[in-house]
Amino acid sequence: MLRLDFNLVLEMINLVVLYLILRKFLFHPLMNIMEKRKTKIADDLGHAADVKKEAHALKDQYELALSGAKEESSNIIHQAKKEAKAEYESILGNAERDANKLLTDARENIALEKEKTLRGMQSEVASLAVSAAKKIMKEQYAQEIDQASYDQFLKEAGEDHDGK
Amino acid sequence: MFTIPVFGGIAIDEGIVVTWVIMAVLALLSIIFVRNLKVENPGKVQLALESLIEWGENFFKDIIGEENKRYIPWLMTVALYLACANVIGLFGFKPPTKDLNVTAGLALMSMLLIEYSGIHKNGVKHWCGHFAKPVPLVAPIMILEIFIRPLSLCMRLFGNMLGGFVVMELVKQVAPLIIPIPLSFYFDIFDGLLQAYVFVFLTGLFMNEEME
Repeated sequence: MLRLDFNLVLEMINLVVLYLILRKFLFHPLMNIMEKRKTKIADDLGHAADVKKEAHALKDQYELALSGAKEESSNIIHQAKKEAKAEYESILGNAERDANKLLTDARENIALEKEKTLRGMQSEVASLAVSAAKKIMKEQYAQEIDQASYDQFLKEAGEDHDGK
Repeated sequence: MFTIPVFGGIAIDEGIVVTWVIMAVLALLSIIFVRNLKVENPGKVQLALESLIEWGENFFKDIIGEENKRYIPWLMTVALYLACANVIGLFGFKPPTKDLNVTAGLALMSMLLIEYSGIHKNGVKHWCGHFAKPVPLVAPIMILEIFIRPLSLCMRLFGNMLGGFVVMELVKQVAPLIIPIPLSFYFDIFDGLLQAYVFVFLTGLFMNEEME
């Protein structure tokens, strides 16, 4: 048992062979796969960081666009308000003008009517005066002035006037 | 055990044959279990193997450092072989490590690896020079250390395993029933695994020392 011989060399060869076998079938594949997983995880993490950064950039962009849109919308509203006001004022002015025109027209009409009436009355009075003058001349001619003919005259004149 | 009829007959020890058995079993188990490896969603067998390998890797990385991890497969091979060889008594074989030739072979390989790692890392010049450090007076001791290290590795393993084996055989002869069970737990399992651990741990430690 306490002797060293050729078996020592055999044992060393055994060990080397076992090492080569285990390296080929056990350590190499397993370490390889673990290394691959490690790289994959590192890659994925890097990729995730990239995506995150991209998302942040996009978010900033959107926020910028959103604030721009807000400003624009407020501008539009402002503009619309201004336009509406102008429109309102112009409509109001038009209405006023129309109303004034209507009023002056009405006034003119009224004045015209008045004049017409006046003129009618004048002609009436003139005919009245003529008929009165005729009557007087008839009286003078007849030399007969009495209460009855006066009444008669007055009645006629009044009827005529009422009839108008 | 038997003789190969070349060079006037080479007597093959039982330890070598048992080593062949261990090698065959380890190779077969490796081929059976290390299949269909996946990067994503590994199976239970793969996960168990990976955690085992990773545990071993971390253990040896702590000793010899991350930058020398190319020696880790060898150290793990030796650890695996010793773990199997030391507990194979449970399966009715004689542990090959109770044979001086086997432990001497292991220790010689360790010696070669220790010196090779030092030369590979720091160059031949540094390797020759490191014997005279810290003072040239210690050079004989340092040179002796080259042989003392593997000798101590070899004898520690051989003595422990042979002692355990002899004690177990004696106990089995005196009380073949029940009594050997707790003793077998100590000598075959605990002491066997402890010696495997010590052997690779010290080999790693010496390598680290040499690579400084």
